[in-house]
Amino acid sequence: MTLQHILYFTVFTIVISRLSHGLFRHYLLLTGSLFAVFWLQPASSIRNLDFWLPVVSIGMVVIIWILTQPKNPDRKHKLRLEILIISGVVTFIGATRYFGNLCCLTATRPPPIIQIIIVLTILGCFGLLLQHFSQIQKSLLWLAGILIIVIFILLKYDIYALHLSQFLRNWMGQDPSLATTSDLPWLGYSYLAFRLLHTIRDAQGKKLPDYSLGEFTTYALFFPALTAGPIDRSERFIRDYRSPSQETNRNTWIGLQRVLVGLLKKFVLADSLALFALNSQNANQVGAPIWMWIVLYTYSLRLYLDFSGYTDIALGLGAIVGINLPENFNAPYFRTNLTAFWNSWHITLANWFRAYLFNPLTRFLRGGNFKLPVWPIVLVGQITTMTLIGLWHGITWNFFIWGLWHALGLFVHNRWTEWRRRRIINIEIHPWKQKYISFFSWLITFHYVTLGWVWFALPGTDISGRVFSTLFGLGS
Amino acid sequence: MSILNPMNNHILSTLSEYITTEILKQPNRSLAPDQPLISGGLIDSFSLVDLALFIENTFGVHIEDTELNAETFDTLHELSEIIQTRQS
Repeated sequence: MTLQHILYFTVFTIVISRLSHGLFRHYLLLTGSLFAVFWLQPASSIRNLDFWLPVVSIGMVVIIWILTQPKNPDRKHKLRLEILIISGVVTFIGATRYFGNLCCLTATRPPPIIQIIIVLTILGCFGLLLQHFSQIQKSLLWLAGILIIVIFILLKYDIYALHLSQFLRNWMGQDPSLATTSDLPWLGYSYLAFRLLHTIRDAQGKKLPDYSLGEFTTYALFFPALTAGPIDRSERFIRDYRSPSQETNRNTWIGLQRVLVGLLKKFVLADSLALFALNSQNANQVGAPIWMWIVLYTYSLRLYLDFSGYTDIALGLGAIVGINLPENFNAPYFRTNLTAFWNSWHITLANWFRAYLFNPLTRFLRGGNFKLPVWPIVLVGQITTMTLIGLWHGITWNFFIWGLWHALGLFVHNRWTEWRRRRIINIEIHPWKQKYISFFSWLITFHYVTLGWVWFALPGTDISGRVFSTLFGLGS
Repeated sequence: MSILNPMNNHILSTLSEYITTEILKQPNRSLAPDQPLISGGLIDSFSLVDLALFIENTFGVHIEDTELNAETFDTLHELSEIIQTRQS
């Protein structure tokens, strides 16, 4: 999101909170979120991709809603209107192709309107067909989940992304030899995928509440949380969405304060620190350990300010319209152990992986007839969860190692805590001694996390290895 | 209100005993009903799963994987209320 996006979104949310209630508010939020998917989508060198990627995002949301919500004759009228709004927004944005210089909603000129109408008709027929196959809904849900993950892998793994780009360039009649891995900048796909996967899993467990297509679309594509999360849960979001806080003045004031804090963190502090923060250029240039530590500390701070600043903006915009999105950060760099760090850093992502991977896996290994000791179960659970969290950021060796780094740290902390608990019982620690212990615990945790960013921030293991050598004075 | 309920007291003491003995390994320690367990760092993700399995076996109440977080319950009191609601 740029400053311009944030300014327009702030005005839009204030207008919604002041002027609209009930159904009108619902349709405005839906329309706003649909427009935002196109408006925020960056340009691509593949023709019309900046129009088709948002269309696919919307199409996926509609399909998952059809597969996860039972037919409800009571909402037939509302459904028709919501379908009309969704297809109307897509068609309108496509029609801006003919507006000449007035066109401002997509990064490049949209495709001809006839193509859009054909795609919408095909999507409509596909949706109707899916509704008639409710008896194989279970298999279709699995298929949809696998497809979401496959797309994720295609986008996040450079070699596949390059092949996909070549394929799309061929299809569009463009030169495939010019394909690059950055041709597919699908806005917010990582977050959308996790929202849709959670919906699929909860539908399989029959835990989803009843909600309309419009409500679900607004949840999945809610404009404040589209680019950088947080990853909310549908039942929590829709609860807030249906009964927003009525204290409009207070919401606006709190929301605006949060947006301002976010702007300061992201655009003033983080962007200034970016000039000195670790990156692949200065990693090769800095030779003195002290300067390498400075660029690394700066990166650590910048990353937090940048990401938590975006979260503040998202939460602030949500608060203005009475929707309290979940917190994503809770002073993570002040934590005195790695477990506490992961309870306060990118909280919604960590909770997602705990709920859908770590907990079921641990429950399976603990509750089954395996009779395994505790330590291998903890190790397997942490390695699986943390390496996948790493790979969620991109399928590279560096993200894998970053995940492994944290998995091993969490494992060691778990075993250390267990060991201490067994041996140190009822020993009173003097308060000043406790302060020293807390300080050193914080120092170790902060440095473990910060050194982990060396893997996260850089593109290859060789350059990360070089940074480690310089940091510890081992460079040639 | 429900703190005075004998059933609630039984659930609270059973949960407290399990957590102090099996998770914290400090059987002499006492836990207040409103003491934060998850956000306070007393129970980690791994022990939460063990706690869910213990509740399932002892009280016949299933706690979902998606509910093992501080938002759903963070204190003995909140956990006891969930168990009682699902038992009734």
